[in-house]
Amino acid sequence: MNIMERTFKYLDERLGTASLARATLRKVFPDHWSFLLGEIALFCLVVLIFTGTFLTFFYTPSIREVVYQGPYAPLQGSEVSAAYNSVLRLSFEVRAGLLMRQIHHWAALVFVAAIVVHLCRIFFTGAFRRPREVNWLIGIGLLFLALGEGFTGYSLPDDLLSGIGLRIFYSVTLAIPVVGTWVTYLLFGGEFPAPDIISRLFVFHIMLIPALLLALVAVHIAILVLQKHTQFPGPGHSERNVVGKRLWPEQTFKSVSLLLFVTAVLALLGGLGQINPVWQYGPFVPYNVTSPAQPDWYIGFLDGALRLGPPWDLTLWGFTISEVFWPAILFPGIAFGILTLWPWIERRFTRDRAEHHLLDHPRDTPVRTGIGAAGLMVFFIMFLEGGNDIFGVLLNVTVETITRILQWSLVIAPILTFLVTYWTCKSLSRTRLRPARINAGVRLSRTPDGGYETVSLEPAATDGEREPAGTGQHGS
Amino acid sequence: MTDSDQGSERVDVDRRSEQGPAGAPGGPGDRGGRPDQAMTGGQRRAERRAAVALAVAILAGIGLFIVYFAGGQTQIEGVLFAIAFGGLGIALGVWANHLLDAREVVEERHELTSGAAGRQAFEMALTEEVGPVLGRRSVLVGLLAGAGGALGLALLLPVLSLGPAPGNSLKVTPWRRGLRVVDEEGQPVSLDQVPQDGFLTVFPEGHEGTADAQALLIHVRPGSLRLPPERMAGVPEGTHVAYSKICTHAGCPVSLYEQETSRILCPCHQSQFDVSDGAKPFFGPAARPLPQLPLGVDEQRVLIAEGDFTEPVGPAFWDRGRQ
Amino acid sequence: MRRTAILLGGIAVLALLLTPTTGTAASRRATALAAQQQPADSPALEARGRELYQQACASCHGPDPAGPSYYPRVPSLKDTGGAAAVDWAVRTGRMPWKDNKGPAIERGEPRFGEQDIRALVVYVGKAVGDAQIPDVDPARGNLQRGRQLYGQACAACHGMNGAGAALGGQNIAVSLQGVEPIDVAEAIKIGPGQMPVGGGLADYEFGTAQSTQEVDDIAAYVESLQTRPYNRGGAPIGGKGPVPEGFVAWVIGLGILVVAARWIAGRG
Repeated sequence: MNIMERTFKYLDERLGTASLARATLRKVFPDHWSFLLGEIALFCLVVLIFTGTFLTFFYTPSIREVVYQGPYAPLQGSEVSAAYNSVLRLSFEVRAGLLMRQIHHWAALVFVAAIVVHLCRIFFTGAFRRPREVNWLIGIGLLFLALGEGFTGYSLPDDLLSGIGLRIFYSVTLAIPVVGTWVTYLLFGGEFPAPDIISRLFVFHIMLIPALLLALVAVHIAILVLQKHTQFPGPGHSERNVVGKRLWPEQTFKSVSLLLFVTAVLALLGGLGQINPVWQYGPFVPYNVTSPAQPDWYIGFLDGALRLGPPWDLTLWGFTISEVFWPAILFPGIAFGILTLWPWIERRFTRDRAEHHLLDHPRDTPVRTGIGAAGLMVFFIMFLEGGNDIFGVLLNVTVETITRILQWSLVIAPILTFLVTYWTCKSLSRTRLRPARINAGVRLSRTPDGGYETVSLEPAATDGEREPAGTGQHGS
Repeated sequence: MTDSDQGSERVDVDRRSEQGPAGAPGGPGDRGGRPDQAMTGGQRRAERRAAVALAVAILAGIGLFIVYFAGGQTQIEGVLFAIAFGGLGIALGVWANHLLDAREVVEERHELTSGAAGRQAFEMALTEEVGPVLGRRSVLVGLLAGAGGALGLALLLPVLSLGPAPGNSLKVTPWRRGLRVVDEEGQPVSLDQVPQDGFLTVFPEGHEGTADAQALLIHVRPGSLRLPPERMAGVPEGTHVAYSKICTHAGCPVSLYEQETSRILCPCHQSQFDVSDGAKPFFGPAARPLPQLPLGVDEQRVLIAEGDFTEPVGPAFWDRGRQ
Repeated sequence: MRRTAILLGGIAVLALLLTPTTGTAASRRATALAAQQQPADSPALEARGRELYQQACASCHGPDPAGPSYYPRVPSLKDTGGAAAVDWAVRTGRMPWKDNKGPAIERGEPRFGEQDIRALVVYVGKAVGDAQIPDVDPARGNLQRGRQLYGQACAACHGMNGAGAALGGQNIAVSLQGVEPIDVAEAIKIGPGQMPVGGGLADYEFGTAQSTQEVDDIAAYVESLQTRPYNRGGAPIGGKGPVPEGFVAWVIGLGILVVAARWIAGRG
């Protein structure tokens, strides 16, 4: 026996790996391109962990003042924090340092984007229904963790732009009624600019949140494997089976290929697209600001919400509810609350308590699709408002005009979106067209006693829940 | 995750692989693929594509070594990594779609639930050997819960060490009556220093750079301020007015001064404040005006503060209006 | 095959678009340098200036530069900054006012030649009693001090990297790409449009050694914003921060990956 076979025998004799591996490798996964979206997010996370580990070796989580001596001339001789200095050193003096840093940051942006698109796929196809509600909750949790990880991450360099973002975050936590000042002082360690915050963010970013992320990702995938993946309706597909390709070899090859593509795209962006050039922004100074001032895109909806107003603060008996409360605490609370509880909200109205392993085509559930589209429109409007000064210059429109238009849109557009989406779904549904593919070829089915029977493969015009009709038996 | 969990399994064989021995799916001794099987034209083309992609990937990898040891260059390294990974990715994708013998398989789903019997068995396992105390409301269990609760709360105590009590700190700044107004380098600011239609970021002497003390000193045109008399008393010569630089909305430095319209804009959320009208917000999400810093002049015509800001600076918080 | 070709083609286009562009630091226009020397005073030049003024400027600014203008929203040239203001506005093509709508903010091609601009500058400068053009030289400036001053006084409106930003109403703080040192010096002196007089600097007084040094410093920093080494991360994508970056992440990053996923999943 060669060395590989001997190693395999060694492991199997002690751990029983052969049968475990066999069962795993034979698992069937349906393949539709939209089922790869979650994998895109997962592979972004892999890239983030590898590049992030590299960055950790160079980053100093300290606000102690040092004198910058590096090659970026405008800052030479200036006093900057050790954190900022370490990021500049990595970007200018470490070979491949800037590449790794930029790949890491682009990966973060694409990571959250992939999670959102994956979430939309789950939502619009109804994959969150029983028995997958728990995995839905875990997924929402992963989304929040990703947002937190991103925010803590880009605040670490202690540059002017992210420092402004931290100031806003400080004000948002202050706006929490009753306990806001306490929560803020405990979280930050005092009055702004709290010197402890950078090292605390570091702990969150490299230890607490990644630990939770990895644990929840593992559970997320374990539940998926346990419950088996959902599938679209199609010929031979039913609620009682999974039709697809095995984990080995096809799904493995495809997943690894996707991992390589993710890495390739992130490397391309990391090399060619400058992102977060902190040396240009300069170190954080609490009385300076730079324009334009926006957070990374996934926090952009909050920035836009804050810009949309309204300028109402409430004061009763000397107690104040800040105007920041409505856009930054109440709105996200309600929106994400609805999102999190959606499986139960929907069940209340559809009274559907059955197990579902077949997905809906979005056009077949016009109400859910319409509501989802309207929700996306609300977030999209907030994103647009978050960039209102940039769009203003681009389109030669005043900031005031953009804000007024978007304020009105917030009321009107979601309703319009729902109606248009509902109508589109209904008319598409009527045409009975389906985007799922049709299999060509003969199907052989092996009976429990060892024989074969052929199975006719007429593509179903409705939802593929026909039992395949046997046409004959061969041998036994 | 053994075979027995999977239930029955159907294997689908499609036309393409009918040339080999039909059936004989996944038995214990079966190693799948038939390496000596002849390739179709399409597969040969796919093999070529994969080979080219891999060759390009290898070249890119070599290129990376060269670039790195030559000193490195971010853009080239990024592109080469992309080519290397992309080449491998293309090769594996082509392989997966054209060079594998993968069949579409139907796998039966098993019941997810353990059933009532299973749940009952679990309950039995939970309660069988717990003895006379557990599972019944007794003093011991109550005390256990109480101790657990008290200890749990006590374990949270170190959290309170994370920061100081807010106290009064959000409502006061270092500004005091008589402190000289200085710029961020500590140089005292005199009355004649800032040109008309100009502005400057100022601090109390001894506290240059302190975040909550930052203020904007603006030299407005004579007669343009419309403040009530008690507020005008804090504006030397009726032209030098100072407001807090911390936006009352979310705390960013409100730095964008428009001299012709006498407005200050905050870049974070586009709140705009009217300097002539006591820095009241007239557009944007801010709800309260920027607090004014009353100024005076000392014997050397250096600007001094006549007190702290007229109200707590910065964004609102719960007990802002309480003493 | 076709899809592969489209994908590769798209990547090629992408690579081209994202390739960092070269800076324009080397291009110092002769006009700018020439304008730095105090315009030589000659009666012929002044007469030419008066003639040009009557043709192109008097219809809004009034027959006498030192007198009132014809319209309430048009400032009299008496208190807009003198010769420096004329030089700045005309040389950067902002004046004569092109489309009569909104503030004259955007740069354009100058409508007059070098000599004519000098004539106008001499004439108006004399007429309003403020004939000095700033003397600025970035080579004399301290880059580090310039960055510090810029961060204090200019970054809020123009951005730390000179990308510019929107103000209220129709006002914007312009991008500083392609801005010459003389533009910087003149703008600080005159405070054009919404920009504060003195540029937000502490203790700015035109002509003093300290102010001249500070302007040199800032001009040195602004000049450094034009050069390429500070975009060593790649294409700056407009230099406007996370908004365009997010756009690129979605459209290019996720876009390519969705195409890749569809290709990988095969005929599905």
